Amino acid sequence: MAASSRATVVLKAVKNITIRFCPFESNVRSTREFLAMVGSEKARSTNMNCEVIAMVKHDKSEPVVDITYADGERLVMKGAKLSTREMFSAFQSRCIAKDPQSQAKAKK
Amino acid sequence: MVPMNAAFICRHFLNYVFLSKMAATLCVKLLPKQGWLPLTQSVRHGSKAVTRHRKPVHFLRQKLMAVTRYIPPPRVAPPGAYPPPAEQVQEDNALTVLIKRNLKKLFQENKIIAVVQNNASNSEDMMNLKYRLHKHGITVKFFPNQVMRSFLKDSIYCNMAPLLIGPTVLFVCKEPKVKEMLMTLRSSPQMTLLGACIDNTLLSAEGVVAYSKLPSMTVVQGQLVSGLTMLTSRTAHMLQHHPAHLSALLQQYVKQQSPDNSAEGAPKAEEAT
Repeated sequence: MAASSRATVVLKAVKNITIRFCPFESNVRSTREFLAMVGSEKARSTNMNCEVIAMVKHDKSEPVVDITYADGERLVMKGAKLSTREMFSAFQSRCIAKDPQSQAKAKK
Repeated sequence: MVPMNAAFICRHFLNYVFLSKMAATLCVKLLPKQGWLPLTQSVRHGSKAVTRHRKPVHFLRQKLMAVTRYIPPPRVAPPGAYPPPAEQVQEDNALTVLIKRNLKKLFQENKIIAVVQNNASNSEDMMNLKYRLHKHGITVKFFPNQVMRSFLKDSIYCNMAPLLIGPTVLFVCKEPKVKEMLMTLRSSPQMTLLGACIDNTLLSAEGVVAYSKLPSMTVVQGQLVSGLTMLTSRTAHMLQHHPAHLSALLQQYVKQQSPDNSAEGAPKAEEAT
């Protein structure tokens, strides 16, 4: 897939992203890497209105990625057993599905 | 009649032999006994069960024997029989040694070591942040995660190791100035505080916030002292209550008597006390 092989994410259709994790647990690696990818400058420059909020807790809870799209849809990913690639590809595919017109124009 | 009989018998005998042989060769279904699984033998001309040569084992029997093969438990060599496997200790290269020395000094000197994850802030933001932190005496340090983890697992700070995943930055400071650090971090949105080691105690993000809300050491000590002395002071007050009350009353009495009778009031008061 050409889109997911690109390193950046296009966040045009996303309203906000909340990532909750507990850094002392051992299953947070993929969530943290996802946060690094999504919170990077390049990703955020595609949509300045999109907020990336990271909440650091210490209650042995599972890492959760909560994405709210511009049309009200929510994507909740529980990152305990997911790999970074899977989360990223799921997120990317939904972003592209939400915003096909501008994507198609950009690709053309 | 006789030759016919003989021929008939011969034929019958041959038929019987032929049939029995057919039975043996084709299928045993002709003689099903109770409890037997129907085995179809498709051997064209079977040798008998006991042969002088090695008869090829039937496929089903081969499978069964393979499945039910005896696998003996692995015999453990007695301890000390073999020399222990040489531990693969990778010697650190010179840079790693240098970094570790730096880290050791860092941990000894600084009171706060905070671990923060930065999601790719650009150099401008980093410069601003460094400048703001430097005003409070906090330095920003970058170390490779692998080296840090190998250093931490040898030292007493081994529980910090799970924090060091992904792009992390260290904030170190000689004095515990947590409030200023938190305020500076709040201004840059992409830095996430993961945890900190303050005065050799590992704290989570919420712990750091709680630490910043604590009053200073002198205030806390004063509160402790006042709490302890309150009890003893109450006891002392209760013990001295009666004689204090008595002496107050007598003084009052003396004052009342002296304006009326200055000569009589003084010896009376002296007798009383």
